[in-house]
Amino acid sequence: MKSFLGNFRIIAPAAALAALMAAGCVLVSGQFVVTYEFADFGYDPLVVSSPTALTGVEVNLNDIGDYSKHKDKLRDVVDVALVGSVTNQTGAATSVEVWMVPTPGPLLTTETAVRAAGVRLWGPLELPAGATVRITWNRSAELFVGRKALIDQIKGDGRFDLYAIGTTATYSFRVDKGALIAVLSARN
Amino acid sequence: MKRVIALALALAAFTAGTACAGSVGLGAFAGVSIPVVQEDVGQGTLFGLRAPVKLVPLLTVEPYWASSSLGNKDVTIGGLTYTREGPDETAFGLNAMLTTGGSVQFYPYAGVGTTKLERTAMDASFTTYNFGLGLGFSPVPKLSVHVRGELQMAVDNGASRKFANITAGASYALFSIL
Repeated sequence: MKSFLGNFRIIAPAAALAALMAAGCVLVSGQFVVTYEFADFGYDPLVVSSPTALTGVEVNLNDIGDYSKHKDKLRDVVDVALVGSVTNQTGAATSVEVWMVPTPGPLLTTETAVRAAGVRLWGPLELPAGATVRITWNRSAELFVGRKALIDQIKGDGRFDLYAIGTTATYSFRVDKGALIAVLSARN
Repeated sequence: MKRVIALALALAAFTAGTACAGSVGLGAFAGVSIPVVQEDVGQGTLFGLRAPVKLVPLLTVEPYWASSSLGNKDVTIGGLTYTREGPDETAFGLNAMLTTGGSVQFYPYAGVGTTKLERTAMDASFTTYNFGLGLGFSPVPKLSVHVRGELQMAVDNGASRKFANITAGASYALFSIL
């Protein structure tokens, strides 16, 4: 028994150390916040004045250093959010959605074209008449409906287009200081 | 994963019944949980329960349950601060400790379990591995006080969420097993 315990005392820590070394890749991983600020790429404010006068955001995450740094070792995208302030520029309530066109070409300008080519990512966010709504991180995370589609793009080439559209027949709104937040789970 | 933990618990219970000079205790602990390389989670508080089962002089297994309230994290964009709420964590599992006798103990331990993280738009469960060192002393018979530092590693899809946990607690030996 004493012999067993003596060996056990050596073997157990050695086994634990071996397990730690085997898990090395897992050990040196982390969660990194990447932000794509629309203002940095000329999209602030983002003005959407009607269903036939949309303004798209050409997102290229490769322009973001934190994304490029971790892209090759990216394991998962564990959180996504669209934040900013949205102002309704009309006297009628509407709701705002964000759509993604995963295979971008020339920017689209009509809601019909966006719905045909894209996938709904986010929303609807209710926007009362004349109101400004600040979208918080938590609220935004709740409103994501196309999480997998966006994650696939982030894990892919990181290049896609975003469009904000309304859900009523006519609308006009403005997005200030908009940004996409993604939390990447990656190895260092 | 749950099967592995259930099997380990069953094994612990079985071997406890056949071990010599063992004991079964119950303890509580509290402390801080510090996220390691996690930019979306802040430091939080941690508390839980343990049931140390001393099987043989050098080996103690310990089922545990723990709960953490992790801190918020802020990101500033365009001069505006956005806050992501910290997740609530619940964890359970089994640690195995290399314990020595005497009134003062310094012991390494390792364990496996399950961790669940919940916050708005997040509800995820992970297999968890624990590695740590503990210092225990017994001011009076049957009662022991423990201070521990551990690395908790919640593994998910080839990466992990890691926490450095520092806890203090006390355990009471409820009864001995022959």
